[in-house]
This record gives sequence, C-alpha cells and structure tokens, in this order.
Amino acid sequence: MLTARIERLKEFFFDGGHHRVRRTPESLGLDTLCEKYAAEGIPAQMRAAMLFEAMTAAEEPVIFEGEQIVATRTVSKVPSYFTADEWAALKSRHYLHENGMLSNISPNLGDAIAEGLEARKQRFAVRMESADAEGRLFLESAVRSIEALQGLIARYEACAREMGDEALAEVLASVRVKGATTFREALQLLRFIHFGLWESGCYHNTLGRFDQYMYPYYKADLDSGRLPQDQAYELLLSFFLACNKDSDLYPGMQQGDNGQSLVLGGRDASGKTLFNDLSARCLEASYDLNLIDPKINLRVDRNTPLEIYKLGARLTKRGLGFPQYDNDDVVVPGLERLGYAPEDANDYVVAACWEFIIPGKAMDIVNIGALSFAGLVSRSVDDLGSFDNFEDYYAHIDAMIKAECRRIAAGFKNLYIAPAPLYSVFMDGTLERARDITLGAKYNNFGIHGTGIATAVDSLAAIRKYVFDEKSVSVKELQAALDANFEGYDDLWKKLRFEAPKMGNDDDGTDALAARLLDSFDNGLAGLRNERGGIFRAGTGTAMYYIFHAIDLKATPDGRKAGEVIPANYSPSMYTRHKGPVSVIKSFSKGDLSRSINGGPLTIELDDTLFRNEENLEKLAMLIRSYVLLGGHQLQLNTLNKETLLDAKAHPEKHRNLIVRVWGWSGYFVELDECYQNHIIDRIKFTM
Amino acid sequence: MASGTIFSIEEFAINDGPGIRTTVFLKGCPLRCAWCHNPEGLSPEPQVFHGADGDRISGTVIEARELADELLRNREFFAMNGGGVTFTGGEPTMQPAFLCEVLDLLEDVHKAVETSGWCALKVYADVLDRVDLVLQDLKLADPAAHRRWTGRDNAPILANLETLKRSGKPFVIRIPLIPGVNDGIAEMEAKAALFRDAPGLRRVELLRYHKTAGAKYPRVDMTYRPGFDTEAQPVVYKEVFGDIETLVL
Repeated sequence: MLTARIERLKEFFFDGGHHRVRRTPESLGLDTLCEKYAAEGIPAQMRAAMLFEAMTAAEEPVIFEGEQIVATRTVSKVPSYFTADEWAALKSRHYLHENGMLSNISPNLGDAIAEGLEARKQRFAVRMESADAEGRLFLESAVRSIEALQGLIARYEACAREMGDEALAEVLASVRVKGATTFREALQLLRFIHFGLWESGCYHNTLGRFDQYMYPYYKADLDSGRLPQDQAYELLLSFFLACNKDSDLYPGMQQGDNGQSLVLGGRDASGKTLFNDLSARCLEASYDLNLIDPKINLRVDRNTPLEIYKLGARLTKRGLGFPQYDNDDVVVPGLERLGYAPEDANDYVVAACWEFIIPGKAMDIVNIGALSFAGLVSRSVDDLGSFDNFEDYYAHIDAMIKAECRRIAAGFKNLYIAPAPLYSVFMDGTLERARDITLGAKYNNFGIHGTGIATAVDSLAAIRKYVFDEKSVSVKELQAALDANFEGYDDLWKKLRFEAPKMGNDDDGTDALAARLLDSFDNGLAGLRNERGGIFRAGTGTAMYYIFHAIDLKATPDGRKAGEVIPANYSPSMYTRHKGPVSVIKSFSKGDLSRSINGGPLTIELDDTLFRNEENLEKLAMLIRSYVLLGGHQLQLNTLNKETLLDAKAHPEKHRNLIVRVWGWSGYFVELDECYQNHIIDRIKFTM
Repeated sequence: MASGTIFSIEEFAINDGPGIRTTVFLKGCPLRCAWCHNPEGLSPEPQVFHGADGDRISGTVIEARELADELLRNREFFAMNGGGVTFTGGEPTMQPAFLCEVLDLLEDVHKAVETSGWCALKVYADVLDRVDLVLQDLKLADPAAHRRWTGRDNAPILANLETLKRSGKPFVIRIPLIPGVNDGIAEMEAKAALFRDAPGLRRVELLRYHKTAGAKYPRVDMTYRPGFDTEAQPVVYKEVFGDIETLVL
C-alpha cells in the first residue's frame, strides 16, 4: 500500500508539478560553455568536471512538500562540453558509441555509499602525488566533480534548513561528507550519486544490486528499532518514486528506455542465496508504486523457492513488464566461461536492458553491434542452388556467420568515449590506474546482439523440410516467391507461414537449429579480440534492431513478408499460433544458453485476464520457474490486454498510465511511436 | 486402437485443475446449453471454422496413441509443476472408447475430466476409474428447467453424480452462473443439496457468464440464441455452499 504522502507526491510528479521549476541550459548560458572551453583549449577531461560544476551550480535546490529523499533536476538538458565541430572531428577520427558519452555500465554503488564522498575525495587527492601528468589531470577532474556534487548537497541542506526540515538537513549534512550510517542516509546518498551520474551526461545509469548493498543499513535500522518497518518502507517508496521524477529528461531511444535497472536476489560465490527481506520489499514497492522505474530484475536459480517466484509473479501480473528473471545457473557459468572471475561472475547485474555486466569492474560495451540472423539467412537463399543437402547448406550458413562476426569485430576501431570523471569515481581501479573509466577497466568486452533468431530458425526449418527433404518446393520457386514478396504465390506463402515447422512448438529438430545458430555465433566470436584486449560476447537480444533489421529485410522463407517485423529478443515468430507457453518454454531452453551470455530474454505475452486469483498466480510462478529449471537464461513476461491496448491507441488520453514492456525496458504505451505500439499489439494477436 | 475427434489442445490451462495442465477438447456434445461458448464443440464431426486467417477445419481425427504421445511429451513438465492433463469438450464421455484408451496410455500423469455427466452409467464409471479428479458440471437441479435450457433430461446426470459421490474420488463442482436461468436462490439451494455432504468434494467453482459467449457462433455458421438476458448480472449466492470452499471464476 502506498502511504498518503507517497500518493500525494506521485500525483504531484505525474501532473508535472515539478516541471515548473525547470529551465533550459540556453536560458542559463550553459549551452555555450563548450565554445569557451574550446577557445581556451581546455582538455576534455577537465571540461567534464567544469561542466559538471556549472550544471550543479545552476541547479536550483527544490524540496517538494512531503519529500524525504530529495534531488530534482531543474536544468532540463545536459549540454555537451564539446562543440558541434569538435564532435564532427572526433567522429571522423574515432568510433563513437551511440552519442559518444559513457553509458550502460554499472557503478560500484555499495562501496561508495559506505565510504562517503569526503573520504573518497581525499583518496583521489592523495593519489595525485604519485601520478603522472595525465593521471593528475584525471584525478583533479575527479576531485572537482566530487566537490561539485558536495556543493549541490550543501545547497540542498541550506534549503532544508530554510524550510525548517531539520531532520532532512541533518541527513544532507551527513551524506555530504560521510558514508551512510542509516537506511535513509544510504538512500539519500545513493540518490545524489545517481542524480550526479545523469547530470554529468552519462546515461543508461543502472542501480545494480540494490537489495544487497542497501541491506546492512536497512537491517541495522530495523533491528535496533530506530526505524519502524512502515517508515522504512515509505523511504524505499520515496527512493523508487524519485527515480521517476526526471526520467522524461533522460536520453534514450524512446522515453522509458533509460536503463535504470535494479537487480534483486541472486547468490554469492559460495552459492548462498542472497534474497532478503529488502528484496521482497522492493518487489512490493514496485508493485505498489506501479511506475516504470526502477526496472526490476530478479536473479533466480534452481534452488529458488516457489514463494520467491510468486512474489515476482505478483509483480509480473501488474503488467509493468518486469521483473525480468535471470537464471544464475546459466549466467554465472556463462560469464566464467568468457573469462570473468568467479567472484565477479557471481556479482553480475543487468545493464540497461538485459546485458549481464559486473558492477564497478566492467567497461564492457554490451550493445556495440548486432548480427542479424534473419538477414543472413535471407541472403543465403541466393546461394541455395549450390547445395544438394541441408548439411552442406548449413555449413555455408556457419561460414557466413563466422565471416559476419569477423566483419563486425573489425568495425570498432579507435573507440573514443568522452571522459566521465564523476562516473570514474564510482568505478573500481580508476584511482589505482589514475585513469578515467572510459579508457578501460578490468573487463573491456564488447557485446553483440543476435537478432531475428526465430525468423532464421523458421526459415531454415522450412528450407530443410520443403527444399531438401520433401523436395516439394524448388529453389527457383522459393527464390521467385521471395523476390515477388509472395505476390502470386499464395499457396506457398500459406504453407510456409502457417504449416511449416516453427520454433516454439517443442519440436526437437527445429529447436536444434536454434542451438546450432547460437553455437555458430559464439564460435564465430570466439578468439576475436577488440582493441582494448577484450573479447566479444554473443547475445540473443535485439534492442531496437527488431525494427531496424526488419526494414530492409525482404520476404523470408518462414512466410514473413517484406516490411513485417521480426520478433523482439529471443522469442517465437508472431505470425503463427504456437502450441502454447509450455512448448515455447521448452523450445527456448534447449540450446546451451550459457553461450549467449550477452543476454536477451525469451519474451512471452500473456493476457492479464488469466491471473485473477492466487492459485493462478502460483501457476504463473511455476511456469517461470520451469524456464529456469530447464536451463533458460532470461525471461520477460508481459501481461497484456489487447482491448486495452487498442483503446489506448485510439484514446491515448484515457490511458496515460498504461505501461508495456518494449524490448528491454518498460514505457508508457501512449508515448511510444506508432510502430512500437503496433508491434506490441501484433505480438498479442495470438495471446496464449 | 480407438481414434477420436478433438478440436483443441490448450497448454497452460490454468482453470482446469491443479498445477500446470494441458486441456484437450473432445468434439461433440449431447447437450445444447443456451449459454454454450464453444459452439465448435457441439457437432461430433470436423467442420469449417471461419478463422481470422481464413477458413480452417475445426476437428482433428487422431488415434489414441498419437494423442497420448503428444501429451506425454510434457510428462516431466507436468510432474515438476503438480499438473497433468484435463479432458473436456464438447462432452468427453461422448467418445468413451477413445477417452478411456488415452487415459490408460497416460499412465502416471495426473488426469482430470470435465464432464456434464450426461452419459451412460457404465461409461461414467469407466471414466471415473481412470481419472484422479473430476470437474463435474452442474447446470440445473430442476428437471424441467434442465430440459428447457440444455435440451436434455438431467436424470442421467443426477444418477452419475451419485456414483461420483459414492466413489470417494476427489471432485470439483462447476456451476455456470446464467442470469435468470440458474442463479435463483431456490435453484442454488437445490443444487447445493445434491452434493453438499460428499466426502470427495474439494470445492465449488462458480463460472460467471460472459457476454462474449456468442462470439464464435458465426465462425461455424451458427446463430447464438441465448433466450435469456445476456446483459444481466448473475446473482452469486456463495452462502448456500456453507463451509465448502467456493471460488467465483
């Protein structure tokens, strides 16, 4: 249950009550600072700190009535510390990932909250004495960034005193300097650090294993009786709510794609289950708040009791599209296999969407590229006439995948990420190395999505059956039909689309093709190194590629016509009715998914009307657990109601709260572009 | 080896018994309940169904062995999740040889049958022997009303209900709540009196009438003529069942 305070604040933020305090960077002269920096020849490393100083100084401390966890953005946009010309020059010389700023990794928040800002700052300052020139520049930029953040906290403290909120002022006075000693301080310090990361221009800022690093404070407060259970819960709600306040300002493909993922549960290196009271409270808080942030991941394994799945299922039923379930039994060995140390692998979290990443230790770029399985199989049809049996044809596919892996891997040369001194403060090893995190960390691996797997598998299955085994469709006929987008080939189209074998029906022969494709992908990337010495990780995610990769994709042998989308992530084709969720779960857990450890969940849509009582919720929990027990790596469930979605498309004004899972994130349905809306509606055409 | 006609196999059927279950729909039914929402289950023959992607045939003739093998693919999955297989329809007892053979072939899988109970005593007893749970429908206690709304006398149903009660086999009573037809207090009392004291009774499930019941009739070239007020809300008298667990689904 939400408390009256939280209800009021939620309503206030929802109505944009806090938007009236926002100002543009232009109105504050922040947008032209880059020109000043350029004219003065200030190095990028220092510019990052200077811009952060200017931003935090421009922020107007605002504390809204009833707020317990404060910090609200009042500057609507973070300008760049490079001019447009400088960006163009950087782009001509370097590979820039997305917009060139640091994104999509996970900081070590636990240590930062425990140590506190002042002690951390001192360590960075002392390190300057033994650093080289580049190191001193970095360390100074880091120290200045911490000071800027402390300055903002001090101004919030003054604001709280002015308002007569002494309790808040004391919390702020403490967290400006010291490590947290109470649950409230821990949440408030976390809020400022997280706020700072966004304010420094970094994005897809994740929250990591919140229930682990917050638990000591929560437990100590509760055990000592300092903090009653209900007040602790209200503080938790306040923090979760705060994650939503500024989310419309965060950069992403679509609003909601902001990467504020938070991971619950899981285990440690000894195998001990770490799900605790706070984990359960987080699931409850997310349910009660019913907002898109933070995005919950639940780490589970074969020993996770059904009761925990039920807590997750209850939140799943809420229809927010999370929790996403991550299977430690597959993910941890998968990460170890790729060279992650066991203690790090056990500490994995989830980056913006589903990509597994190690907090504090990884400068992995988990979404650097994508291999289009569907596109590759589509191209291979041109060569189909050269093979007289399926195995030879598959060897050709395998070679194509390997070549594509090499091509992709060769594409990311001379990477440049704009320096991020504040983020660096919260990453391991930056102090010792005296180097910005963007230059590298313990892990520097690149992740490659694998898109359109079901489209590729279904296409291969159809080719194997009709072209090679039955010989009922000739290569020429298939090629002609695909070239004609099935115009004039209605019977063939129907056969391919509705009668051909499909992945998702628990058909071993077809499902084995998926396992082979994923193995080919993993083999194709094996041994390749990126320029930072890191490896390449194969994944089953699509991100926005399920739209991009489909645009230029001609008709495919699975009966998909040109322009029709491909399934999101690791999911069955949308154009045919499958046997049902049990078969889908079995089909999608057959391959060795520890070899697809860049992540990308099986996504199943379920009608929300199915889960109206406790018993049915338990069955949902069992279904989720089954995927884990069978060796699936990651699962996302949407509970959707088609009528609601259609009505929301027609009358967005009536559905401003409707939340859907899009690819690795949840967003407000009415705020999505039409193509995404349609895709979600299409996905449930065959609601199971 | 018997073969039978089925019109659907539904995985993860969450309202048809314990755990994760697959429900098999057998085609053909001796009753013509005015509120039936599965018109393609009425005729025992395969028939044309005008689907969203064009016409298809509703109704597949399948051998008992083939169906059992298909269901047994999920044997471990069912066991892992306290589930099994449920047979419904149509009216599954209309194909007794086929049904019994499939039930036998399923061996240790948990088996349930949902039935109107309108069948011969021998058939009912044979099926009862082979299942772990019965989902026993009960539409109307009043014989005249039963004839009027289902087209059949309820005498065989009541006789089979006695067999069920005597057997001690676990069962669930399922009552569709049809506004103005069977939801009156006297009728509900009469129904409750029929099974209230049975030791095998696990619970009562009241299935609320949904006005989309008529949605599939045009798909099989039929007209939905319910003959009662489909807009009315049924009355829910849970109290007549006393201490028995009663769910409204």
